[in-house]
Amino acid sequence: MSLRFQRLLLIILTLIIILSAVLLILYNTRENISYFYTPSEIIKSDITINKLVRIGGFVENDSFNKISSSSFNFRITDQKASILVSYNGILPDLFREGQGAVIEGSFDNNDVFNATNVFAKHDENYMPASIKESLKDTGYWNKKYK
Amino acid sequence: MSSLIGFLSLVFAIGINFYLILSRYIFKFQKQKFNFFIRFSSLLTLLSFFSLMYAYVVSDFSNYNVFQNSHSNKPLIYKISGTWGNHEGSMLLWLCILSVFSFFFSFTKNIDRNFQRLTLIIQSFLHILFGLFIVFTSNPFLVNSILVNEGLGLNPILQDPGLAVHPPILYAGYVGYSIVFSIAIAGLFQNTDGEWLYVAKKWSLISWTFLTGGIALGSYWAYYELGWGGWWFWDPVENISLMPWIAGLALVHSLMMVRGEQAIKKWIVFLSILCFSLSVFGTFLVRSGILTSVHSFAADASRGIFILLIFFIITGFGFLVFLLKEPKKSIALNLLFINKVSALVINNILMIIATLTILLGTIYPIIIEVLYNKRISVGGPYFNATVIPIMIPGFLLMSIAPILSWQTNKIQNSKKYVLGFIVLSILVLIQSYFLDFNTWGFVGLLLGFWIILASIIAIFSSYKVKFSIKFIQIINPHIAHIGVGIAIVGITCSSVFQNELDFNLIEGDKFKVNGKTVLFEKIETTNQINFQALRGKFLFDIEKNKLKEIEVGKNYYPVSKMITSEAGILHQWNKDIYFILGDQKNNEWFVKVLINPFVSFIWFGVIIMMYSGFIAVSRR
Repeated sequence: MSLRFQRLLLIILTLIIILSAVLLILYNTRENISYFYTPSEIIKSDITINKLVRIGGFVENDSFNKISSSSFNFRITDQKASILVSYNGILPDLFREGQGAVIEGSFDNNDVFNATNVFAKHDENYMPASIKESLKDTGYWNKKYK
Repeated sequence: MSSLIGFLSLVFAIGINFYLILSRYIFKFQKQKFNFFIRFSSLLTLLSFFSLMYAYVVSDFSNYNVFQNSHSNKPLIYKISGTWGNHEGSMLLWLCILSVFSFFFSFTKNIDRNFQRLTLIIQSFLHILFGLFIVFTSNPFLVNSILVNEGLGLNPILQDPGLAVHPPILYAGYVGYSIVFSIAIAGLFQNTDGEWLYVAKKWSLISWTFLTGGIALGSYWAYYELGWGGWWFWDPVENISLMPWIAGLALVHSLMMVRGEQAIKKWIVFLSILCFSLSVFGTFLVRSGILTSVHSFAADASRGIFILLIFFIITGFGFLVFLLKEPKKSIALNLLFINKVSALVINNILMIIATLTILLGTIYPIIIEVLYNKRISVGGPYFNATVIPIMIPGFLLMSIAPILSWQTNKIQNSKKYVLGFIVLSILVLIQSYFLDFNTWGFVGLLLGFWIILASIIAIFSSYKVKFSIKFIQIINPHIAHIGVGIAIVGITCSSVFQNELDFNLIEGDKFKVNGKTVLFEKIETTNQINFQALRGKFLFDIEKNKLKEIEVGKNYYPVSKMITSEAGILHQWNKDIYFILGDQKNNEWFVKVLINPFVSFIWFGVIIMMYSGFIAVSRR
């Protein structure tokens, strides 16, 4: 192989690497991200069944229902609308009624949101930045929240 | 009192750095005592840091920062670690490490005096920037306006020995790149030949080794403390520590090319600036609260803007100097289809693409929110599906790269490698046929074992095995790669072949995990110094005499009204059995058991990498 041919080969290889990286990124930004909604937003949206999304809000007071030691029902709310959520597994330590939480999962056929992940941050005053605004809009913002 | 001493010495240290820059460039003093002033300012910054630590140790609640983040009945180690367990203190730690690096750099021998001074002047400049940031937006020495006898307490999740030492080590890595940055900029200004590259190499290895240790400690902490059974979550904070790590790895490898006498200075300077920029950028993202994460402290807009400003000054200044003063004499690279130089170039390209991919995924939510006002989250699936495939060709390359030649494209003993690869492929294929076949598992295991095998073949066929320091230094690159191979095996096994078992149990129940009988002995609550502990006790393998007890549960911290989970982990060399205690109903407890094969290999691999980092630093 001549020196020039070897360099050409290297450049082509580099281009292939970069191209495949770009394709990978483009494909995955379409497939592997989940959109974030508040309960009132998701009710208005035309979300399809089994599409993975995240919902952020409060755990509604008096809505928490322990079915067994590992399966739970509760409602998540932003004071305008609320969604029934069912979850199997271990809830985070700071999961409590009246506290902020973010849940990830999808709707089933009966309009129940099946959570695969529940996130409650490790600070009792923590509020997901993403629902801050909608809380301020509705006037439920509490200065204590960070 | 200690707060006053701390604040004064902090300000005085900044003043000295001002004086150094002014005296050099405005008054043109010929400083005889330049190094003395640098060291004096370092010691003052240390004094400032230790007076804050003293305030924490004696629980001096007249200091507002101590009042906010400490409590008198905390164990001593967490009083000390509380010093950097909050925003203000951690920024002071950052500054402190910066000046400690300057301190040690001022002792470097065998380099041009002027070059050394210029480097230290740039360090002084950085010291002033971060020093002013602390004084104006995050002063840890503020006086508490009300008289109190008790503090508010440290976030319980930070009360852990692993996390107590994690920030200083991680910061040593981040801030270590400041020296590399200063060296590169000074190198650009003075346009000295090659010499500074050797100095830069040493310091970038030191930083990289610390960064490796810091990241590993952080993920080990996440593994046993957060109780999710995993050790890497592609959380923004993890991503931003990974970016300078990969860029630093690229830097360390490009600096190797200096030895092949083909200095690609431009690229090295670019990487040096990039590494430190990414470190500052990471700090900005975490501190500003733009990205939410488990680790983020309270957000404060003014701080975010200030750090953003510092980031733009440093990055802008760095890249501006880079464009204006780029090294002229670049020798053409000796690129062949497959020699060491081309392997290193491809490895650098891959690492930079990986860094950019992580960067994109980390800031993508911000971009989307600004552009479309939609909120998204980019999690593990995105990073797994992009970063891993990008890295795979790099891993393949690293198995043979150390034995490639600088000048020709011939591989010594190529038959041995081909034979080794074929045998290994068959073995892994047979192994994965008997376990349930999984593509990622197959690829990961093959890659990991291949890197280990190729490095071992290289050591035994290229060098005479002797037991001397020189031999240890020569085979060091291979050892580092064996560490990577071991870590890849661990990562693959623990993520692909993880097994999850769920149980609903009452006290006294027996159940089977991995063929061994486990007894759920009892649930009990006890009072500890600063928390209440709820513990489930399990006896593992009760049929044998060698009983192993596992404790798993939750801690309740009354001071901050918080609960933390304590996972119970039974470590074995080939697997971790990981217990998580869930909720209960009618005395029936939910218990999740995860079997994580070969997790210990990850930490073992990382320790080998750090060992090689230290050996490489010692090498001339």
